[in-house]
Amino acid sequence: MKGIAHFVAGVAAASCVPEAVRAASEGNPTYFILGGVFGLLPDTIDFKFSRYFYSHDIEVTPDPIAPDAQYIADRVAEAINRAHASGESVRVKLNTVPVGLDQWQQYEVAFDVAARTVAVRYGPVVDTGQNLIPGSEPPPNAEAVAPVDCEVRIEYLSSTQVDIFDGPVFSMDPTDDGRVSPGFIPWHRAWSHSLVIGVLFGLIGGVIWDIWATAVIFGASAMHALFDQLGYMGSALFYPFHSRRMSGLKLMHSGEALANLTAVWFCCLLTFWNLWRAVPGGIPPNGTRVLILYGMVLPTLTITVYRRIRKRFAW
Amino acid sequence: MIALLVVLSTLCGTLLASLLACVPSLHIYNVMGLLVMLGHALTGQGIELQPEIVIPFAAGLMVGYSMLNTLPSVLLAAPDESAMFTVLPGQKFLMQGRGYEAVIMTTIGGMVGLMALLFIVAPIAPRLLPVTQKVFRGHTHWILWTVIAFMLMSEWPKGGRLGRSGWTKFLDSWKTTGAGLVTFGLSGLLGFVLIFRTPIAPDVAFQNLMPAFVGLFAVPWLLLNICTNVHVPSQSMQIETHLKMDDVLRGGFAGTLGGGFAAYFPVVTGGVGGLLAGHATALRNDRVFLVSQGASKFVYYVGGLMLFFVPGVSIRRGGGAALMRSIMTPQTDYEYYLMLGAMAIAGVLSLLMVGPLTRGMLWLIGRVGYRRISMAALLLIVGLVVAITGLTGLAVMVVATGIGLMPVLYGSRRMNCLGVIMLPMACNMSGVGSTVAGWLGLL
Repeated sequence: MKGIAHFVAGVAAASCVPEAVRAASEGNPTYFILGGVFGLLPDTIDFKFSRYFYSHDIEVTPDPIAPDAQYIADRVAEAINRAHASGESVRVKLNTVPVGLDQWQQYEVAFDVAARTVAVRYGPVVDTGQNLIPGSEPPPNAEAVAPVDCEVRIEYLSSTQVDIFDGPVFSMDPTDDGRVSPGFIPWHRAWSHSLVIGVLFGLIGGVIWDIWATAVIFGASAMHALFDQLGYMGSALFYPFHSRRMSGLKLMHSGEALANLTAVWFCCLLTFWNLWRAVPGGIPPNGTRVLILYGMVLPTLTITVYRRIRKRFAW
Repeated sequence: MIALLVVLSTLCGTLLASLLACVPSLHIYNVMGLLVMLGHALTGQGIELQPEIVIPFAAGLMVGYSMLNTLPSVLLAAPDESAMFTVLPGQKFLMQGRGYEAVIMTTIGGMVGLMALLFIVAPIAPRLLPVTQKVFRGHTHWILWTVIAFMLMSEWPKGGRLGRSGWTKFLDSWKTTGAGLVTFGLSGLLGFVLIFRTPIAPDVAFQNLMPAFVGLFAVPWLLLNICTNVHVPSQSMQIETHLKMDDVLRGGFAGTLGGGFAAYFPVVTGGVGGLLAGHATALRNDRVFLVSQGASKFVYYVGGLMLFFVPGVSIRRGGGAALMRSIMTPQTDYEYYLMLGAMAIAGVLSLLMVGPLTRGMLWLIGRVGYRRISMAALLLIVGLVVAITGLTGLAVMVVATGIGLMPVLYGSRRMNCLGVIMLPMACNMSGVGSTVAGWLGLL
């Protein structure tokens, strides 16, 4: 999920704590700020801190002037082979290739399980929004394959596009059955996304503020974990008791526009409903039904009809 | 006769705003402030201001500005090479010689915003807003705090790409993010000074923040244009991109959502609303982004003024409504419909102005040169600051420029400069503004 969905989910979690709503109506914003902050904090820890301290054994820095897909494929294959031979994890960092003002050379790394190879293919040049730059063609020597010495076990996606900002790290982890599993950005969704750590943060919050802060912080952390678990990568939900990431439910991709919008909208409605309940006199009869009708049913119908029209008329 | 008066007032307001919107860095609220002063002077002489003149004129001003101020922000905002990772889509189009296309896409967004206001928001606002006002009463302060928290937390590091892991990489990555946080803090501090112990003369108190805004947002941009001597390619008047209906609707929806949020909740600006909506709808496509920016800006400015006229609630949001309130208080449905009608007329008029004014501006840039136009704009806004707020205002502007240069030099979000208003207002709304001002020795 995008950062805003986690943030708003944290705020919605805070709104479910009646004391948070009461305090807010009296001018104390602490609980809602805590909700938002701790809703986004796991990703903040990963992307603003952890990633920079996560070391790697092999660094792949493609030449922007003389693209060489074979070099990339060989280095990734070397990481897999070393992990297989040594029985220890080998981390490989794939750097991005900036080629001009807001332009990046895209390339894709794929693990072919059946053929036991690593395949690399250069793509077009894209901008920072990952939009294709018109007229850009993949360079010569754009494709290469490198064999590996063992079977590869895929737990996330079999191919990864490398393009903007900071490139990914793969941790090539030997498995018990003699294979090697490429762990995509292993610094992400590790300890920071654990429910146990969420409880710990909540307890610390309880010491600093009060028991309601514990509830808000844990609720926000749990919402983050829940939302992430709907996707593919999953999280290490029970770190330190179980350090590996538990696979997600694979219901959606984290960058999907509609999924993110739905999550944000639903959380906003939940927050609104919780605030409405706290208004003196409460929600009037049929108020909740009207909210569901206009806030959920009508937008769902509109979006469904729109998607059908878009498909039919190829908008 | 009344209808003619309404049309004429709308026409005058739209034409004036459309022309003034082309002047870089001149904000419509500054112009409206001066016009309100004129209005007070007229009222003082016994001349009554008719709502059939004031409301359409104000609507024309706001619509014309919202639609046309895209021109300077796209055509005069050329980035240099150092802005590698922070180039906005409008600037990208400009550097590809497609500035006109970017203006048109933003204008389309503005039109979607107008349609949304007239056909979706206007009919439901009188029924919906009383409920939302009741629910959000006492809660806007924490909404502002959470917006601030998200703004600060959502700026991801841009550096630290290469090399071994560790502190060096971490510190490199945090240059931009850190600069953003420092910018927000310093501009917030400046805001506290300006609100709690303003050096600006009381007779121009309504323009209290104007020198700060000019210094934070306009001057650094113009200085950069003058210093970097960037080459802008000649601009094509052809439209290469085929804008799909899906792009228009997605961008328009996101922009309307963001602009509506900013228009409804105090202190949140159109840019912040656009940022939130862009995140919420996962916008990536440049075309959709431009459409959404047009819609967001339009709904923020015009929607903010429109809310002031919603019967029964009369919400005062944004500088336009605040200035209007000093000369009139809407009381009937008639004024609401007058506002809506004027918005529709002004929308069509300003749409007609986009093409000729863009051509005119491109001609001027080609003839006079990019650098000279930036110099002239700089002289103009410095002159305005001195004329309205005196040398004290100029000093405030210089301080604000120092802060405003930080995001430009470090490549962080310029939006962090909004700390000048967001931080003190959030503190005030939570009831701790005076306490913080006391800590800072401002009381």
